[in-house]
Amino acid sequence: MKQFLYGLFILVFLALPPVANLMESVMIIHMHMQMPLLIITGFLFARLFQLRFPRFFEKWNRNGIPGIILFGVIVTYWTMPRSMDEALTTQGMEVFKFISLPILAGVPLRDSWKKLKPIVKNIVFYFFIFVFFGMGWLYIDSPVQLCNNYLIIEQITLGWGFITTAICMVIYLIYVAFVDPTKYE
Amino acid sequence: MQTAKSQTFKDKANKVMGISKEDALLTKSYIFVAFAALLLGGILGLIQGLNRAGLLELPSWLNYYQVLTAHGLILVVVLTAFFTIGYFYASLSHTLGGLLPKVRTMAWIGFGLKIVGFVLAVIPIIMGDASVMYTFYPPMAAAPMFYIGLALIVVGVWMCAFGAFIQVANWRRNNKGQHVPILAYFATGVFILLFFGSVPVAIEVIVMIIPWSFGWVETINVMVARTLFWAFGHTLVNIWYLTAVSAWYVVVPKIIGGKRWSDTLTRVVIIGLVVMNITGGFHHQIIDPGIAEAVKFMHVFMSLAIGFPSLMTAWAMFAVFEKTARKQGEKGLIGWYKKMPWGDVRFLAPMIAMIAFIPAGAGGIAQSTNQLDQVVHNTMWIVGHFHLTLGMSVVMTFFGISYWLVPYISNRVLTPQINKLGVIQTWIWTIGMIFMSGAMHWVGLLGSPRRTSFTTYGDNATALSWSPYLMCLAVGGTLLIIGVLLQVYAVVNMMFFAPKGETEFPIAEEEENASKTPYWTERWGLWIVVMLLVVAMAYVIPLTEFIVNAPPGSPPYKTW
Ligand code: HEM
Ligand SMILES: [Cu+2]
Repeated sequence: MKQFLYGLFILVFLALPPVANLMESVMIIHMHMQMPLLIITGFLFARLFQLRFPRFFEKWNRNGIPGIILFGVIVTYWTMPRSMDEALTTQGMEVFKFISLPILAGVPLRDSWKKLKPIVKNIVFYFFIFVFFGMGWLYIDSPVQLCNNYLIIEQITLGWGFITTAICMVIYLIYVAFVDPTKYE
Repeated sequence: MQTAKSQTFKDKANKVMGISKEDALLTKSYIFVAFAALLLGGILGLIQGLNRAGLLELPSWLNYYQVLTAHGLILVVVLTAFFTIGYFYASLSHTLGGLLPKVRTMAWIGFGLKIVGFVLAVIPIIMGDASVMYTFYPPMAAAPMFYIGLALIVVGVWMCAFGAFIQVANWRRNNKGQHVPILAYFATGVFILLFFGSVPVAIEVIVMIIPWSFGWVETINVMVARTLFWAFGHTLVNIWYLTAVSAWYVVVPKIIGGKRWSDTLTRVVIIGLVVMNITGGFHHQIIDPGIAEAVKFMHVFMSLAIGFPSLMTAWAMFAVFEKTARKQGEKGLIGWYKKMPWGDVRFLAPMIAMIAFIPAGAGGIAQSTNQLDQVVHNTMWIVGHFHLTLGMSVVMTFFGISYWLVPYISNRVLTPQINKLGVIQTWIWTIGMIFMSGAMHWVGLLGSPRRTSFTTYGDNATALSWSPYLMCLAVGGTLLIIGVLLQVYAVVNMMFFAPKGETEFPIAEEEENASKTPYWTERWGLWIVVMLLVVAMAYVIPLTEFIVNAPPGSPPYKTW
């Protein structure tokens, strides 16, 4: 319950108009800070849902695969320029962003991750590395403005944000592959 | 978890064997260089202080900015780096059962590289070809040799960092599932920061500045250079802080006869400082152009986020004092101070250092705020601020450490006479710093600029009104040089002349009922990736802006 309240607090804070406006005024902060924070709020909500509706998760997300697919779909959807633009112009889409990222991405991520086999976890990483490099390339290389709301320079910044994040994931995978924890733990 | 039994056994073993000769020599050399740097840098500081008060006109062959460059470099880089590395290598040796021969060799190579680098950097300073101050902001350009020297110093530091990583990894392989002893844990955090923090400055110096100072490329991107510099400069500040904190957490409780504060939270503070640190560099660029206000605003949060673990430190220390005093029968909330060993310099110096951190930290928080920083930026206030943080909180902790570390590595003892000398030194330093730093803060608020040799601006009334404060500054500086002389004398005495004997390496134990520290605190690989992510997030916005919308760039200038 405590976690749920923390999550709710963060969610409400992020939704406050001045906070939301500030974060959405910079493209990369909109996508690489606000959105991940929304997912984290969902992460914090998940515990309560798991306790309240164990049957539901047991039935629909036994091996974690459906949950992680849902997570992948929602997150990929929100990496697209069009969806971000719409969140800024249409109130309904903005509300959808504040609901979908916590509930449809954060909650299933937490429920799924521990259930996944190591190989599936790696596939998830490969998938996101691929998406992030691709999106990075798109945002950096596009000669035209992809969003009505953001200038080209912001787009390029976001592109480099994707690339650097992808590089961090690669470093993590290399670390996991080459350092054998059983030697130390 | 380490059992209590193996702990006491190891303690005994260490007491019998002490530190090996080879490891002792390594730390001794590092500490010796550190205090030689203090002496040299202190004398240069006094020259500056007297000049700024209008009491000393520098001869024509000695330029104020030349002195300032040397003072900054010697104290900011040489003193702190050599002390930190010497201290943590002694800690690694003591807590991990002696240095591996390979690691010791690496630390010696690092020592050599740093000394050679330092000599290469100093030659052009003495020749008057490198009066660019320790920040060496382009487009001011020094002779290439200066930068080559700096690059060698960085490589030398990397040798020591990797040596430490090898030592810790080796210990962990031989002690599976155990937590790295707390001082070695601090050392790990510090060396991680030293390595990753110096990568940006290495890029700045090697990729950007050296080709430019040789004239191979014509122009340089000034804003990128400044940003890379402060990613390093700020991290260095927190490396000092973490080093001092290690002594506050681990050593001070032992000296007052108490126990260490929560092991878990200590490790969490270290992780927090490592992960969030490098991005703090932006608070040195609050007044810089080219960074959008929204971005600067968000960086205020990053800076204050580092303030949070710092505040936890203060709270933890007072908790330790109170608990220890209560065990010794003291009642009441603030009565603890009566039970503290004020006459023991190993306690007194770090204690005053901690107290100094209260105003120092408050000043730092004020400076993180855009509007307030506009008032004090590039004034003497800033110089006052870092003489309080670095010159007092950090350096006095180093002094306090020296009173047991130097006897420990020299197989000698701290005599009552040297202890007394140390207590006197501590008070002289305290009073000197209060005068000097206080005057600097105040005169800065009145508008006196930093990095400016003595001038009255044609007897301008405002500039004349600074005189009394600058005189105070000179008085403080004079007291400080007395402090420097006493301190260096004490170190030399303890290293070479004090009576032979055993000295303990003071490490406080955990509390009896301490909860088990979770193992995720040992997963440094994960924390490093998190740190890299935070760094990437923070730097991508300004760097993209600086590079994509770059101005034409600047040729080198010699402004002096
Ligand atoms: C005898 C003791 C000391 C005296 C009298 C002294 C005095 C001064 C003065 C007058 C300045 C120049 C202000 C200006 O023109 O901008 C200065 C700068 C500085 N001092 Fe000290 N100082 C002392 C010790 C230290 C210590 C122990 C440290 C650090 C470990 C330190 C670090 C610095 C740094 C980093 C600068 C700035 C250099 C720059 O602006 O490029 N000082 N000091
Ligand atoms: Cu800083």
